Amino acid sequence: MAGRVPSALYDGQTARRHVVGVEVGQGALVLHHADGRVEHWPFERLRRISAHADGRTFTLALHSETGDEVPRDPARLVVSDAGLAEAIRRAAPTLGRHDLPRGAIRRVMVGTVAALGAVALILFGIVPMLAATIAERMPRETEIAFGRSVVAQVEGFLAEDDAPLACEGAAGRAALDRMAARLTAGRTLDYDLRIAVFDHPMVNAFAAPGGHVILMRGLIEAAQGPDEVAGVLAHEIGHVEARDPTRLALRSAGSAGILSLLIGDMLGGAAVAVAAEYMLTAAYSREAEAAADAYALALLAEAGVGAGGLADFFARVAPKAGRMPEYLASHPGIAGRADRTRAAVAAPTAPILSETEWSALREICG
Amino acid sequence: MPTDAGSTAPGASDFTYSGRFGPILRLALVTGLITLLTVGIYRFWATARLRRYVWGSVRVGGDALEYTGTGLEKFVGFLFAVVVLALWLGAVQIVLFLFGVVIVADPRTEEEAITQALALSASSLAVVPFVFFAQYRARRYKLARTRLRGIRFGMEPAAWGYVWRALGHGALTVVTLGLLLPRQTFALEAYMTNRSFFGDARFAQGGRWTGLYRYLRHVGIGVTILIAGGVLTGVESDFGLFLVFVGYVWAFLGFVHYTVQSFGWLARHKTLAGGVGFDARPSTGRVIWIGFQGGVLITILFAVLAVVFIAMIAGTFGGAMQGGGPPPVGALVAIGVGYVAAFVLAGALATALISQPILRHYIETCTITGIGALDGIVQRAHDRGADAEGFADALDMGGAF
Repeated sequence: MAGRVPSALYDGQTARRHVVGVEVGQGALVLHHADGRVEHWPFERLRRISAHADGRTFTLALHSETGDEVPRDPARLVVSDAGLAEAIRRAAPTLGRHDLPRGAIRRVMVGTVAALGAVALILFGIVPMLAATIAERMPRETEIAFGRSVVAQVEGFLAEDDAPLACEGAAGRAALDRMAARLTAGRTLDYDLRIAVFDHPMVNAFAAPGGHVILMRGLIEAAQGPDEVAGVLAHEIGHVEARDPTRLALRSAGSAGILSLLIGDMLGGAAVAVAAEYMLTAAYSREAEAAADAYALALLAEAGVGAGGLADFFARVAPKAGRMPEYLASHPGIAGRADRTRAAVAAPTAPILSETEWSALREICG
Repeated sequence: MPTDAGSTAPGASDFTYSGRFGPILRLALVTGLITLLTVGIYRFWATARLRRYVWGSVRVGGDALEYTGTGLEKFVGFLFAVVVLALWLGAVQIVLFLFGVVIVADPRTEEEAITQALALSASSLAVVPFVFFAQYRARRYKLARTRLRGIRFGMEPAAWGYVWRALGHGALTVVTLGLLLPRQTFALEAYMTNRSFFGDARFAQGGRWTGLYRYLRHVGIGVTILIAGGVLTGVESDFGLFLVFVGYVWAFLGFVHYTVQSFGWLARHKTLAGGVGFDARPSTGRVIWIGFQGGVLITILFAVLAVVFIAMIAGTFGGAMQGGGPPPVGALVAIGVGYVAAFVLAGALATALISQPILRHYIETCTITGIGALDGIVQRAHDRGADAEGFADALDMGGAF
C-alpha cells in the first residue's frame, strides 16, 4: 500500500459525504481534504466502529469524551480498501478497544444503589405501612374471605395430594369448640373464631385473617395435656384479635408482588404462594408477640387454666435435638417468655378439658 | 486527486442487508448462554451486541447503519423502570383495597368471583398505559442510538401523548369490532413518524388512513367464513367446524398480510426533509414462507433432540434402577444443562432462521429516492435516551431485535 487511498469521510456535522486521501503516517492516520486541509487521527485514539461484511474493512472513529452514550467523536471514516485496512490494523493496536464513558461505573453503582434503596424503602417502609392502614380499614367480610383464601393456600401448600386437610372427627370437634368456648367465655371477640385442625405432622399453629386459627395434628400430638394446646390457642387468638395475620398477609402479598415484578413474573401467581409460606414461617414483630402473650395469659387466667402448660410445652419441645419445632421457629423467644409467665401466674385450677374430651381431641384426625 | 464527490455511492438508491446465518447464530447462541449463566442480567448486553451486528449489516445507499446503544444504559434504565412500576402497581392495589376490591384465591360467592375478576382486570389494565408508553420510549431510544453517515436519528419526547392516543384509538377499534383498525394503525404510526428525525430533518407521514383498508380484506373474508362456520355447526356440525378452522387460519394469515402490507404502504408514504422518499414492496407470501419454513425446521430439530433426550433419561434412570443405586450425578447435570441449553438453541435458531431472514426481506424490498437531499442534513444533539427502553424490558415486550 502506498500513497493516499481515497476514502469516504463523514465529518459528524452534516450527512454530506466527503472524499479524503488517507495515508498511514508517523503516529497518526493522515487525512488529506480536497481543499488542501490536513487532519491527523492519532493511532492510539483510533477505534473500529463496525466491521464490514467482507470481514476485513471497517468504519473508524476517534476516541473522545463527548458525553454521549459511547465516548466517540461523531466523525466517521469509512475504510473500504483492504490494504489500507490491514495497514491501519498493524499501526493501531487499540483499534478494537471498548471504552466506557467517563464515570460509567459510578453511574451504574449509583443507579443500582438507588434502585435497591427504592425497592428496600418500598418493601420495608411503604408496604408494611400500607398493610397496617389497609388492615385497619378492611371490611370484615373481605377480611374473612381473604383469610379463607390464605388458609386454602396453606392447605394446598401442605397437602401431598389434593385431599382436604381439615380433620372432621365429631367428638374431637366438640372438644375443640368447648376449649375455645371456655377460653373466650365472658369476652366479646371482634371476630367469630374459625378454628380447624389440619392433618399434618408439623408441630405448628397459625392464625389467618378474619378469625381463622389452624392447629396442626403434630402440635396436638406433641402436647402432654389439653392446657398446653389451650395455651397455644389462646396465643393465636391474641394474634387474631390484634389483626396481626391480616397485616402480615397483606404485607407479604405486597412484597411478593413487587419481588415477582423484579424477577419478571407478571402473573402474580407466585405472590399468593409466597404469602402462604410467610404465614407458616414468618415471625410477627416482638411487640406483636408480647401483646399476644399478654392476651393469652389474660384468657388463660380468666378460664382458670394455668399458663404453666404453655411454658411446659415449649420447655419440653425446645431442647429436643435434631428437628427444631416449626412453631418455635416462627415464634422466636417464646420459650423464655413462657418461663417468665410461669412465675407471674397463679397455680392452675381445673384442666380445660376432661380426660375423655382430651382423648377425643387427640383423635380428631381419626 | 480526491474531490468532494457528494452522495453518489454505488447503488445509491438501495437498501441492502449483509448479515449472514452463521455469524448471527453464533452471536445469539453465545449471548443467550451468557444470559442464562447470569440469570438474565446479561440480556441487556446481549441485545446491544445483537443490534450492533444487525444495524451494521444494513446499508442505505452504500453506508452502513450504526447502533451506539450500550448494555450498561439499558441495565440502569431497567432498574429505574422496575422501581416506577412497583410504585405504580402498589398505588393501584391501594386504590382497589380502598374500594374493597380484593383478590380472593378461592371465591365462594358470585359477589366474590366478580370482585376478584374486577381486581385482576383492573391490575392488568393499570399496566396498559405503560405498555404504550414503553412502545414509544423504545422506538425513541432505538432511533436515538442509530446513526447513518455519523448523523444521529432521534425522536421528540412525547410518549404520554402517544399513550392517550393509543388508548383512545384502541378503544375505538374495540368498540367498532375492528372496523377502525386502519385508522388506529395510521394515526399511531403518523404520530411517531411525524416526531422522528434524521439529524435536523423531520420525517413526515403522508397518505390517508382509508388507504390501508384494502389490506384488511383477507381478515374480513376469514372472519366471514368463521362466522358462517359457527352458524352452520348447529345444522351440519362437521362441515361447520371445518369452516371455522378454515376461517380461523384465513383470518390469521390475513392479519399477517395486513401487518406486512400496512408497513409497506406506510413506508411508501413517508418522506424525509421534503425531498427524500421511500419505496417498500414486502411480499406477504415470502414473509409467511420464511416463518413457516423456519418453524418446521426448528420443530423437526427439536423432535429429534427430544427423542435423544428421552433416550438419555431412560438410559440413566433405567440403569440406576436395575443396579439399585442412585442415578449418576454427572448424567443428571448433563441432562439438566442440555434441557436448558435447548431453549437457548431454540431462541438462537429462531433469530437466525426466521427473524433475520424476514428483516432481510423487508430491507431488500426497500429503496430510497432523492438520496441527494441527505447532503444538507445537519447533526442533531445527543439524546440521553431517558429509560433506555427499561419499561419495555420490565414489561417483557421486546421484539426480535
